[in-house]
Amino acid sequence: MDFSEKIVSVLEEKFGGKREPLAKWDACVVIPKEYLHNAVEFLKNDSSTQLDMLLDEAGIDYLTYPNHEGPRFAVSYSFKSTKVAGRRVRLKVLVSEADLKVPTLTDLYKSADWLEREVFDQFGIVFEGHPDLRRLLNHVEFVGNPLRKDYPAQKRQWLSTSDYLMPELEKRLESKGYKVIERSEEINPVDEEYLEGSRK
Amino acid sequence: MIVLDPNGEKLSLMSLNVGPTHPATHHCVRLLTALDGETIVAGVSEIGFMHRGFEKMVERGTWQQVIPYTDRLNYCSAMMNNIAFCRAVENMFGIEIPERNKVLRVIVNELSRINDHFICVAAAFQDLGGTTPFMYAFNPREEIMLIWEKLTGARLTNSFARIGGLYRDSYSGFEGDVLAACNSVEKALKDLHACLDRNRIFLDRTVGVAKISKEDAISYGWTGPVLRATGVESDLRKDEPYYDYETYDWDVVVGTQGDANDRLQVRLAEIEESVKIVRQALKRLAPGPVDIIDPRIRVPSHKMAYQDMEGLIGRFKSVYEGIRVPEGEYYCGSECANGELGFTIIADGSGHPYRIKVRSPSLAHVSAFNYLVEGLTLADSMATLPGLNMIAGELDR
Repeated sequence: MDFSEKIVSVLEEKFGGKREPLAKWDACVVIPKEYLHNAVEFLKNDSSTQLDMLLDEAGIDYLTYPNHEGPRFAVSYSFKSTKVAGRRVRLKVLVSEADLKVPTLTDLYKSADWLEREVFDQFGIVFEGHPDLRRLLNHVEFVGNPLRKDYPAQKRQWLSTSDYLMPELEKRLESKGYKVIERSEEINPVDEEYLEGSRK
Repeated sequence: MIVLDPNGEKLSLMSLNVGPTHPATHHCVRLLTALDGETIVAGVSEIGFMHRGFEKMVERGTWQQVIPYTDRLNYCSAMMNNIAFCRAVENMFGIEIPERNKVLRVIVNELSRINDHFICVAAAFQDLGGTTPFMYAFNPREEIMLIWEKLTGARLTNSFARIGGLYRDSYSGFEGDVLAACNSVEKALKDLHACLDRNRIFLDRTVGVAKISKEDAISYGWTGPVLRATGVESDLRKDEPYYDYETYDWDVVVGTQGDANDRLQVRLAEIEESVKIVRQALKRLAPGPVDIIDPRIRVPSHKMAYQDMEGLIGRFKSVYEGIRVPEGEYYCGSECANGELGFTIIADGSGHPYRIKVRSPSLAHVSAFNYLVEGLTLADSMATLPGLNMIAGELDR
């Protein structure tokens, strides 16, 4: 039995996964949200899998997909192994519009940080436990989630400023053991809105 | 700002913006740093200044219309992106492209890789103040650009691959031009190595700078030459071979240290391997068709469209409705100049892509940039960035 068949059956057995019937050319398993973190931990650390690289996280909006049943959104995770050539698998979690939350993978893979920020930015899916969930590609003032199917492609928005990164810089310093005791005048603007810009 | 450092000592840090338009970033990327003297204590970055909505735009067109958009991903090796995208869609159709097409794609792929690596190494030296290597690298690069002009009619955002075929066959005299380019590439490599290998200034600036371990590089999702520079032997052309890469005689290049110097040296050594592949491919280039004959996938030739009913219908339908990719979802990655360029494709069976997500290698590389430069001096951070070969086109999409 080749690897992808084996891994699909293991994921089905252990984590209540279900083979995605639409994935005709690669192995993809739909995993219930609550088992996602455990399943990924297994894929990463188990000696029989060794999928040590998270390549991509792709958000999908099924709003206009013909004859689609089930939750509106999905996130597709692509994994591969750098230790054993050719080992790949995709996991998928379904996300309903009422509950836009998915557990984060930032504690397992460092690449998950920006990938999850991108999905949050483009689809508005919230990754629970992500240390710094902000927009990645669109600017702070941007309103809406552009890759959702109900966002019109020709819509224009006026964006005037870049991220105010100061709070993030302080957070980064604090994570390295530094303690900010005094901010200088010019980085403490009175304009409340500008200060909060990064957290929109 | 005044801070207490982990030992409880009072420090005065200066916050400094590098970018968005800093000469050494080459593109728009912003890094906000907290500096202690000249040393970067902490940094956070912002990207997205060149976000053009690739993924939104491609949903509006047909499958063939995605191809010119892919040129704008990594525009230093535009045709490689075409080929990666076409390969993904061809796999979904389950079609095998003709032998001549495969060999031509290998040649174009490898020449693009040479071009991309040359511009990366040349720019890295330019940033460190060395203009001579820049000129050495750009002469053979110009020769390859002239081949692109003759092949596709464009220099920068050229597109050549089509789903199930190529834009057209190569021109007469193509083989001679490629062979001549290979010779000048090899000559330029000698000159470049003479400039760099024992250059004290260059070695001092790059050896041991911005080191990353294998584990971290893998965790950050690094692929391509920057991952191989850390010593991980991972190359899709060998691991999951396509276009008969496994039958060519070449080696995967790996580094040992994973520092800024290794990242550039691995690229130079990869150029050598690419030249080897191109020379072998030229010998295999036999006359034959480049397009598959299936009016439902590849737009029929003019000759067929004017003389044949099915050809006319096929041409009309594929232009107006788009080719119909079978319903389903698929992730397919190819080894591009910067690393693994992957496409997650969701097809609903219509003539338009439902969703295409690009897995861009640059995004993974740049996401580690803060981590790499913390603890370095500001000047060293500018020696680090070009080695990652950040291309804003695929970083921001």
